[in-house]
Amino acid sequence: MAVSIRTLALRFFSDSTRNIHNVSGCRIKHLRCRAGITGCRGYSDSTEGRSTHFGFQTVPEGEKAEKVYKVFESVAKKYDVMNDAMSLGIHRLWKDTLLHIMNPQPGLRLLDTAGGTGDISFRFLEYTRSMYDRQQRLRAKSHQTPSWQDITDHYVSDDAGPPRSCAVVCDINKEMLKVGKQRAEKAGITTGLSWVVGNAEELPFDDDQFDIYTIAFGIRNVTHIEQALQEAFRVLKPGGRFMCLEFSKVTNPLLARLYDTYSFQMIPVLGEVIAGDWKSYQYLVESIRKFPDQETFKEMIEDAGFFCVQYFNLTGGIVAIHSGFKL
Amino acid sequence: MSHALRTLTTGVLIAQRSVSAQPLLRPVSAVNTRAQQRSRSDGVKGSESQAFDVSLLEFLVCPLSKKPLRYDERSNELINEELGIAYPIIDGIPNMIPQDARMIHKTAATEKPTES
Repeated sequence: MAVSIRTLALRFFSDSTRNIHNVSGCRIKHLRCRAGITGCRGYSDSTEGRSTHFGFQTVPEGEKAEKVYKVFESVAKKYDVMNDAMSLGIHRLWKDTLLHIMNPQPGLRLLDTAGGTGDISFRFLEYTRSMYDRQQRLRAKSHQTPSWQDITDHYVSDDAGPPRSCAVVCDINKEMLKVGKQRAEKAGITTGLSWVVGNAEELPFDDDQFDIYTIAFGIRNVTHIEQALQEAFRVLKPGGRFMCLEFSKVTNPLLARLYDTYSFQMIPVLGEVIAGDWKSYQYLVESIRKFPDQETFKEMIEDAGFFCVQYFNLTGGIVAIHSGFKL
Repeated sequence: MSHALRTLTTGVLIAQRSVSAQPLLRPVSAVNTRAQQRSRSDGVKGSESQAFDVSLLEFLVCPLSKKPLRYDERSNELINEELGIAYPIIDGIPNMIPQDARMIHKTAATEKPTES
């Protein structure tokens, strides 16, 4: 009796996984029909051009960057709205968690790579400023009955003013930065925020410049991830922290199936309805599947030279935060 | 007793004063009206928002050679003398992608290398 139930359950699970592969197979055919077969020429590594993956397609390496650029150029205006719709607002919690784990002190310099519309930078500036206010309040509370010596010290040290935290948003895509800059102007953020168009594989920054390097939901779009990690290592100060927030492998099998169904059935549809762009969101969900899992990515980060690399799974592994230090 | 109560209330008042400072992302009305006034007085978009932030030059370098750059105000570009390339600044945002940079030759004027 138990055996038959087990075989039934096994057959049920294998059937459903086969169904999902069929579904994604149909989607690939669908995508290829829409994209045109010319887009995917699969060169093998032995011939001249090296190939890489663009979602489930195989494309020459030189083309991937351009295709990714076009994806984000077309979604830039609706990017924030789509993020809220697809993740049901949970992406805000993920980004807040990243900031809590980072726990930045006031006066640090952040490089927000693939920063796009600036979500992480805005949160960084708000976090450091509210932390500075909290520290000031604690200082004021402990100085309820100051002696004359304390008062003179306070006046002397007050010349410095609050330590300037600053965030630099770097993205390869001008449109995303433009949207981000408009958001900053609307929110009234004037100081401490800079915008630079740059490639994560070839950062236009000097060595040992930044205290914290973050890349949120961007590293899976980079053609050569190892190069991006090496550049991150280069621009960080010794003692600096590398943090990466990215979609990853779901640990729970039941959640994995629900997540797959939601990804392949709902997200491209939402993309078509809200942003008018099925293909870009199809690319999104496929690129998530192509990204290495938590342990593999942790090893890649260690290979780049970072120490004390650890990762935190959020929402059952849908998203993972990897962190490492340059020591 | 009354002295303790007074310090308690002043402490609370001090705390309240610092707490009532608006969180960063909610626009402070003063900044907003000033910005609106500026945009209303200028016919074109206020030049301050489009100007390049020179403090970036502290750590901004050429992505190819990693050498410092020179800011050219007239052409609004960042110039790497060594390699002879100029990176454009659009809307106050420097574009540091090598493919989008302009070659500077003494003979040829503006020869834009196409994106690969």
